[in-house]
Amino acid sequence: MGPMPASELLTTAPALLLLAAGLIALRRQWAARPGGRPAFTLAGWALIGLGLWAFVRSFGAQAGAAYGPLALSVLAFGVIAAGVQKRATPERGPRAAALEPQERRTTWARGIAKAFLAIVLSGTAAIGLGLAYAVAMPLGTHDRIVIGGLLVPVLWGAGMAWTLCDARLLRATIVLLCASALGYGIAFLPKAFA
Amino acid sequence: MDTRPEPLARRRQFLSPDVVRAMLEGHSALGIAFAALIYVVCLTGTLAVFINELRRWEQPDAPVVAAAPAPETVAAAFAEGYARARAAGAAHDLFLMGPDAGRARLTVFARGAQPGAEGAWVADAQGRLAAPVRAPWTEFLAELHASLHLPGSWGGLLVGLVGVTLISSLISGLLSHPRIFRDAFALRWGGARHLQEADLHNRLGVWGLPFHLAVSLSGALLGLATLIVGLLALAAYEGDSEKAFAAILGPMPSEDHNPAPLPDLAAMIRQVGATRPSAVFASVTVQHVGTAGQVVHLGMRTPGHLALSNTYYFDGAGTALGEGGLEAGGVGQQILGALQPLHFGWFGGIAVKLAYGVLGLALSYVAFNGVTIWLVRRRAKGRPAPGWEKVWSALGWGQPLALAASAGAALVAGAPAVMPAYLATTLAAFAWAWMARDGRQTARALRLACAAVLVGIVAAHLAVWRGPFAEAIAVDAMAHAVNVALLCAAALALPLAVPAKARGR
Repeated sequence: MGPMPASELLTTAPALLLLAAGLIALRRQWAARPGGRPAFTLAGWALIGLGLWAFVRSFGAQAGAAYGPLALSVLAFGVIAAGVQKRATPERGPRAAALEPQERRTTWARGIAKAFLAIVLSGTAAIGLGLAYAVAMPLGTHDRIVIGGLLVPVLWGAGMAWTLCDARLLRATIVLLCASALGYGIAFLPKAFA
Repeated sequence: MDTRPEPLARRRQFLSPDVVRAMLEGHSALGIAFAALIYVVCLTGTLAVFINELRRWEQPDAPVVAAAPAPETVAAAFAEGYARARAAGAAHDLFLMGPDAGRARLTVFARGAQPGAEGAWVADAQGRLAAPVRAPWTEFLAELHASLHLPGSWGGLLVGLVGVTLISSLISGLLSHPRIFRDAFALRWGGARHLQEADLHNRLGVWGLPFHLAVSLSGALLGLATLIVGLLALAAYEGDSEKAFAAILGPMPSEDHNPAPLPDLAAMIRQVGATRPSAVFASVTVQHVGTAGQVVHLGMRTPGHLALSNTYYFDGAGTALGEGGLEAGGVGQQILGALQPLHFGWFGGIAVKLAYGVLGLALSYVAFNGVTIWLVRRRAKGRPAPGWEKVWSALGWGQPLALAASAGAALVAGAPAVMPAYLATTLAAFAWAWMARDGRQTARALRLACAAVLVGIVAAHLAVWRGPFAEAIAVDAMAHAVNVALLCAAALALPLAVPAKARGR
């Protein structure tokens, strides 16, 4: 679509104000430690919800749903930048402590097995399940194929995240093999038996 | 993502600390393995948002066509494009692209049946072809983002995999962040470096999440499309990928190669306009042009939708074959129409593009500083990796420098110089890192070089297009806007090149 005309830019201003007010309310609540008023949290999310709704109202469901979150992200960066805490010396004490990643002893073989699970087997399972959706769901052609296609990177990414954090390789292997068998079975077996 | 425990709170957490630490380990491993690729793809993607503006900057003497062209103008450009394509042996498929926000061009692309046979021309507002398209650096950038210049389908698949790793990193990053709300606005600057970098990483990652998810998901799907559709064809279309693509993208041409008259595009545009008065011409693709099997995909855009256009299908004789529903069809059709504009920010004009620019830089930085956090943490634990610190600085600042140097090379020496300039500068950045004292010195010198090259590019552009030898050339105003943007980028890079102590901090 083309650039926003001036009239639409004017209608954007209240939506932006609502989003900014919501972010400021949330910041005020979450910065108060301990305590603060939970009402600010509710008010903050409500204002953000209203701001997103205002975008949808001004630009329609499709464009408004794209503009709103975009504006929220950029405004949030602005609110964060406005509240930077400048420190001259390293922070000490419990708030500075960081939860560290686990450091498990590993071997090359285990590393390669994890990479295989995360990249190859997760991908195989994700593509199989996406294919099953694209072939077998009782929806229109485009809906089946496009949503099935979108499922592939989501499932692949989720499988990757899971296999990389799970220490039990055998469990991950069995689950992914079963998911692959299910997906490719649904996608290919009906045709094979037809 | 890095995270901090809440020692005073006794609230029950969604995930146990052990799970969070395991998730952090997976997040770190994935980041270390893929961060370089994610960074290059994100950085080039951020620049690719402005690809239409950059094309105009590279060829500022080409005619500007701001308004949607009349049907007769499209037909005239198509006919002349066909004649030129035949002369170049590239008259197999023809593609015309009209103006859009930032594009302001009417362009004809031709592709022959043989690989390498192709042509592209810019038309004026009357549909006369004025000049061949000349934008070597922009094409280099687009190819680097879409396929990393790898051969065949491998590049697209690798970039698709990069999109998947980004999605995976977003999932594991979110799950390893139990204080996501409490720390949502906290940004500590100065003091302990790993806390500063972790705060930046988490804030930019969390608040940019809708954008990060949208671009990684759409990018992964675009990259993996060939693989997914190939397997879909095996499962449901007798192994015929073309049939599978046709199910998604509309009618494909038949193999009847007998000569036939060119399709009457003006009549088709008017036919669509009769039922949709607000629709304007966006693009047209004619496959197997000039044959009895030719098929026309006419893109017409109506306001209020994300899709660049809806597609209307015709055969060569002008018989309507249906429409794609990309603007107002089913959910799948609308998602299909929104994929590309959502991925590149090509909806809503310059305001959306600037927002995409900011968020794209944020995502690039998140990819980059994830590894920085890992390196700083190692140093804090007494296990520094000075070699890797230098290598990482060389990649982080060497890539903007290499892209800038390749743009300068394209401007001065043309297409053949682009890839060598990019590779040579990338290698030089690593060579400098090898000689430099540490990662900080590496980064400072590369930032300084980047700022200098950006200023040099603007000077070279002005010399080529406004210098004493080119006074009479009319230059597209967009070129000036891009030059100002390049100077702003140089001005931003310059302070970063000066040590904090020298700036009085």
